[in-house]
Amino acid sequence: MNIQLNKYVKYGLILLLSVALILFTMEIKLIKNPDSTPITSMTFVGLGVLWLFSMFGIIFSDIMQKSPVKIIRDFPILGWVSITSLILCLISDFFVQAIQAVDFLSITTPILTFAGISVANRLVDLRNTSWKVAIVAIFVFTGTYAGSALLAQIGLFLSGN
Amino acid sequence: MNKNFLYLLVFALFIITISEFIGFQAIPIGSFTIGLLPLVFAILLTMFLGLKVFRKGIWKKIYSDNNIHFAGKYLIFIMLPLMARYGADVAPQIREILQIGWVFIIQELGNLGTVFLGLPIALLLGLRREAIGATLGIGREGELAYISEKYTLESKEGRGVLSIYIIGTLFGAIFFSVFAPILLDLGIRVEALAMASGVGSGSMMSAASATLVARIPEMESTILAYASASQLLTSFLGTFTMVFLAAPIQAFMYKKLVRGDNK
Repeated sequence: MNIQLNKYVKYGLILLLSVALILFTMEIKLIKNPDSTPITSMTFVGLGVLWLFSMFGIIFSDIMQKSPVKIIRDFPILGWVSITSLILCLISDFFVQAIQAVDFLSITTPILTFAGISVANRLVDLRNTSWKVAIVAIFVFTGTYAGSALLAQIGLFLSGN
Repeated sequence: MNKNFLYLLVFALFIITISEFIGFQAIPIGSFTIGLLPLVFAILLTMFLGLKVFRKGIWKKIYSDNNIHFAGKYLIFIMLPLMARYGADVAPQIREILQIGWVFIIQELGNLGTVFLGLPIALLLGLRREAIGATLGIGREGELAYISEKYTLESKEGRGVLSIYIIGTLFGAIFFSVFAPILLDLGIRVEALAMASGVGSGSMMSAASATLVARIPEMESTILAYASASQLLTSFLGTFTMVFLAAPIQAFMYKKLVRGDNK
């Protein structure tokens, strides 16, 4: 039980770091461009809500680990957080307003900063990758994105949207 | 370790500040406009500065093994607030999304484009069994798990999927942030591109949708709603599409193409 609690305290602190970085990014954005999303009291509420929903998602994902269905056990934490947030946002519009007071692009910069640091030791692995696979990768990424975009375009056209 | 962690934090704030001050850069190349967001500068800077040649003195403390391990292990948790934000983007538009729900489901099949486009190219380049791993999907955790279960990661198939995994981790976000606006310039509707952004990887989806938002800010709510709804759907249906469609189609095409090759 104690280990379990420690784990959640750790996750809570990391999430706190994450929302603090978002706030920092918004502040820097405002210094660079005073017209970007303002930091209001609602922003702080929004960051608090994001923190809380992320925590709920983590706990929810832990509970679901006990599910007998493999697909549900394998469903990523990221997905559980989105679903938790979606349900709570459908219940109350207040959450939507609070969260939307947090600038979207300011959420993305800190994430990619950490993503970049996390792959620092992986760059060496590139040496073991042949240039052929690198070319294939371009077509694989192009294939999934262009494929989905074309089908969506056709679908939207057929549905008269 | 605690002291090194402090270096990591200060470094992260420094990188964020620099990236935000460079800001959104629209670079016209011929008739296309490539938009580079602060997030692209953030990942490029951290990757470049992390090169082994720089790892001396303070740089060694920032990029200490513990810090790199921390960033990798907890990246997913740092991403969680973003995922929570997507809930708030989908909720106000849930009716609209359900109304065209079938379009969302149909575009999931577009993820088979990895096989249809990638496999012939891979075989043309002379790859064989590596191609199986490299073109089954975009090489995220789902494909890694499937390939390692079926062939092990030491096999040629395994090496293929690992290579795509590494390339995707390093360059996926950058690729999509450049590629999405190109398709926009080619005349694909932004709603369709937003839906397509749900490729199954959090950072790639964020990069693709963020560039679209930067290009067409007045559509922000629609773009984010569609992208995150599609991402959610991909995390649900992705495994099914891979196991029941991508893998059999790939096996069929592989047999046909390789046999034709040997004649």
